[in-house]
Amino acid sequence: MTNLILDFRIALRSLFQHRRRTFFLVTAIAGVTGLLVLLNALSTGVSDTMIRAATTLSSGHVNVGGFFKVTSSQSGPVVTEFAKVAKVVEQNVPELDHWVHRGRGWAKAISDSGSMQVGVTGIDIKNEPDLRRVISVVSGRIEDLAEPNTMMVFESQVERLKVKVGDAITISAQTNRGAANTVDVRIVAIAKDMGLMSKFGTFVPIDTTRALYQLRPDTTGVIQLYVKPKFVPHVAEIAARMRVTLEKAGYLLMDADANPFWMKFQTVNREDWTGQKLDVTTWEDEVSFLTWTLKVISVLKVVLLTILIAIVITGIMNTMWIAIRERTREIGTLRAIGMQRGGVLRMFLFESFQMGLIGTVAGALAGSAIAALVNAAHIRVPLSVQLFLMSDQLHLAIDVSALAKSVFMITAITTLAALYPAYRAARLPPVSAMSHFG
Amino acid sequence: MSRMRITCAAAALLASFIVPGIAHAASKQEMVDLLKAVDDRQRNQGDWRSMIYMEQKEKGKVDVAYEALVFRRSQDQKFIILFSKPKASQGQGYLRIDKNLWFYDPSVGKWERRTERERIGGTNSRRSDFDESRLAEEYDPEDNGEAKLGAYTAQVMTLKGKPNIDLAFPVLKLWVDKESKNVLKRQEFALSGKLLRTSYYPKWKKAYSESKKTDVWFPEEMRFYDEIEKANSTLILVKSVDMKPLEANQFTKAWLESKSR
Repeated sequence: MTNLILDFRIALRSLFQHRRRTFFLVTAIAGVTGLLVLLNALSTGVSDTMIRAATTLSSGHVNVGGFFKVTSSQSGPVVTEFAKVAKVVEQNVPELDHWVHRGRGWAKAISDSGSMQVGVTGIDIKNEPDLRRVISVVSGRIEDLAEPNTMMVFESQVERLKVKVGDAITISAQTNRGAANTVDVRIVAIAKDMGLMSKFGTFVPIDTTRALYQLRPDTTGVIQLYVKPKFVPHVAEIAARMRVTLEKAGYLLMDADANPFWMKFQTVNREDWTGQKLDVTTWEDEVSFLTWTLKVISVLKVVLLTILIAIVITGIMNTMWIAIRERTREIGTLRAIGMQRGGVLRMFLFESFQMGLIGTVAGALAGSAIAALVNAAHIRVPLSVQLFLMSDQLHLAIDVSALAKSVFMITAITTLAALYPAYRAARLPPVSAMSHFG
Repeated sequence: MSRMRITCAAAALLASFIVPGIAHAASKQEMVDLLKAVDDRQRNQGDWRSMIYMEQKEKGKVDVAYEALVFRRSQDQKFIILFSKPKASQGQGYLRIDKNLWFYDPSVGKWERRTERERIGGTNSRRSDFDESRLAEEYDPEDNGEAKLGAYTAQVMTLKGKPNIDLAFPVLKLWVDKESKNVLKRQEFALSGKLLRTSYYPKWKKAYSESKKTDVWFPEEMRFYDEIEKANSTLILVKSVDMKPLEANQFTKAWLESKSR
């Protein structure tokens, strides 16, 4: 143990003796670590924003939705007798925190000045605390959605429809039996845009969707399940378990399809069945058309990391080779006064480890500081990026465990990069090392 | 004298209750007969081929024009619309077989099942606008009296969808020319009672049908006005009507695909 401490101190002293070289290497390692921390923060930030927006606007962590077909060619996103389905869910999902149910629909919104196709989400605003917390209302009151025949739209829709709070809009759609129907609604709230989904998503009271599609009061569009935070990474397993449970409870289920419900109309209409079929999806399925951004960031992260680590490994090895060459006589002397081969090996490994640790910690701190500055600066991203980010601002999220992993990984790589040069140094015969000039 | 006056007044009062009842019953049957006549004048009981020209005007958008061929067979209610213009839509087509409406797009080579209420080519026209009239089968009429429509005297009636029949428009209002029994104007309402579309049929033409052994009437011009999006309208012209028998295998996916190439 004493030897280890001694080797550690010699290595530390050696680092301070070669300040310039140490400085450059530590800076390089800190740069790589900082970049990795920032990429991780970006990836986590985008993922967090996406989960938050997706699970607020259009999805729960897990969803039990489905289609009801009156005839084989006419389908509606409807869950009949939803209270019974919800009971099965409650009894079989111990990870459940809470659930809400929402009406689903696709209709034409027509104002005096314009029209556009919109997704019509029917909600009971009194039971939607998350929605009220996450959505930022710029005009009107979200609570007014408790009144019948009201509507909340997003800023970008206001531009298309040229409406303001208090204006009337006609929503026109076909019922599930194919009959044309309309509902006149009043705009009660205008919300701040939340990316692509707010381009076409609107909210109305659930009774308005029922009136529009002529649905019974015991029907809904989807049961959205919200699990406790620690179970969010396991939603796919929960969804798979829900499928089995619902089948056992006697419900017919659609084939698993990792796509949002509105992409399934064509498939459902092609199939020759009538009646009710349930569909279980996760939040990732419901925003699968957006999660590619996360995949791109992950791939980018891996590619960049590979290149940077290759550079670091080459740099460390090269520096070690130079150090060993420069310090051959020193190694010979240390060996002559009794240092064993293991001691020499440890000394060089410790040097590399210390450089790695100082560099990664500095990099992690710098990366975290930059991330905090970026968040504090509330940097607005371009519109095209907002669509996929589901936010108008860049948000970087530091995950402490990911930070620790980055520090550990790069320190370990740095240490291991010195292994071979250190081994070669330890193998040098003391006599020839002492007589080495160069 | 006074008693006689009272008796007469009582008789008049009684008559005022009874006579409208009889008149209403007769009127209802007349309405049904009129609706049947409207359908029958347009039904050819055989095959049909025509060329249609559609022009769609939408607020804030460039006007779009389509040219298409319409084929139909009365026997089993089969139906085809095959687009020939514009170039972007060339080869696209609708096929109705076994009470299902299919859409084919040659650029992707796929068939998609569509709802019967599909807006044809994205215009304000529906498949039923090009099909045979089946108003008497689908709706119960109510008399709304007579009205002047330009130079024409029209019988106005409200049609309500019969129970257990899925209809795009549950309520219609119809103006039928009393003299010719051609439809002059039609209004379509949503379940909510909101007026959705008003159609005008200013020109009617007849053509001889071999299968029916008499003339068949068809609207040569149809004008649809969107009543919710007031600036949107569609004009449809029906040309080159031919009621000779079509190929036996014409109403198949293979036939439409072959014409789409």
